[in-house]
Amino acid sequence: MTEYTAEMPSYTYAMKAEKLLKARGIRCEIKRREEGCGYNICLYNKTSFEILRKNGIPFKLKEMEES
Amino acid sequence: MIINFDNSATTFPKPLSVKKAVISAMEKYGSSGRGGHYIASETSKAVFSARETVADFFDAKPENVVFTLNCTHALNFAIQGIMKNGGHMIISGMEHNSSARPATKLASDKKISLSIAQVYPEDARTIESFRNLIRSDTKAIVCTIASNVTGQILPYHEIAELCRKNNICFIADGAQACGTLDIKMSDGINILCTAGHKGLYGITGTGLLISDEKYKINPIIQGGTGNLSQSLTQPDLLPESLESGTVGVIGIISVKAGIEFVRSMGINRIFRHEEKICQKFISELKKNKDVTIYRSPSAEYVPIVSFNVDGIKSETVAQILAKKGYCLRAGFHCSALAHSQLGTSSGTVRFSPSIFSCEADAIRLANEINRIDKNKL
Repeated sequence: MTEYTAEMPSYTYAMKAEKLLKARGIRCEIKRREEGCGYNICLYNKTSFEILRKNGIPFKLKEMEES
Repeated sequence: MIINFDNSATTFPKPLSVKKAVISAMEKYGSSGRGGHYIASETSKAVFSARETVADFFDAKPENVVFTLNCTHALNFAIQGIMKNGGHMIISGMEHNSSARPATKLASDKKISLSIAQVYPEDARTIESFRNLIRSDTKAIVCTIASNVTGQILPYHEIAELCRKNNICFIADGAQACGTLDIKMSDGINILCTAGHKGLYGITGTGLLISDEKYKINPIIQGGTGNLSQSLTQPDLLPESLESGTVGVIGIISVKAGIEFVRSMGINRIFRHEEKICQKFISELKKNKDVTIYRSPSAEYVPIVSFNVDGIKSETVAQILAKKGYCLRAGFHCSALAHSQLGTSSGTVRFSPSIFSCEADAIRLANEINRIDKNKL
């Protein structure tokens, strides 16, 4: 399954994103970033990022991983 | 027996639910927003949940809720952060020193120009005094929603509208209003600063700064925020931009529990209960011609009563009452401007009940005051 990762500017925004997505039934997870002291949101459906954009949540789409 | 009528300073006692939340938080939580391990994650979730509770209560977004150490810190962040690049600022003549001192310091350092708007019992005159001071370079108006000395409610909706029309940042001090008035960011407030330990029933060491995002608040302190640690530049997104250093997790959890308590009681019910006690207290004091009460029929008040016993210093009255177990604050209440406007050269005695206060205690207190004989002092 392809995993999409978005770098969140802070834990607060990571939490906000997670709540927003989970409220819509979208599976996602907050993960501590491997470098740079920060938090990522990992999810499995690319269109979900649109939900974050539409709700004004800043993020940086980082990478796609096969897992 | 100790009876607290100094709840404007800090509500005491606290609700049992707040006490339980504090004890539970001490047993469960560590640092928020730092690390990805179990304790950090659980703590971060709890702090975010508190942000959501605050945001919901004040009609704000959780990411715009900043936890501070008290209202003074919040007001300093707001005032110094908004006025960093200079300009003109107006504060009301009823401001607490938490606004008046940072504003005066900026002005005396020639970094800003400052005007003080006279406050009157009549709202229309107060609004006019603000309006007359607005200039083309006015950047911010700082106004308390309710005076911490008299409890007078200032016309904050109208002042907010003045600000909106003139593109001025409205910084509201909600320290004496939040918890007894239903304050919302949608009242037109750009930055709301308040205490967590007063009407919101949290513990001491808690405060809130809530922004509507319209005006950028430049951080006045920098440091660790738990994110972007490789950068030497302070992150510029709220809330972390204004939350350098580890936040007071236990206090934050107490504020969440306190707000939930206020919600469960109902703001209007709290106001009615406390104001009823104030009215009873006033009616008893009015039997004494030697007592001056600082309330005007033209104004509206939160449940605070300031008074003096003629011929006796306010501190002396408070000491006499303290010996009988009553806790009231006398003097100038950290509000030089307000006492100057009132003309109370030796301050006043301030009576402020909470939801836990009762009418019978207020009557007994009034009787004690009415028994004070200045000829026997």
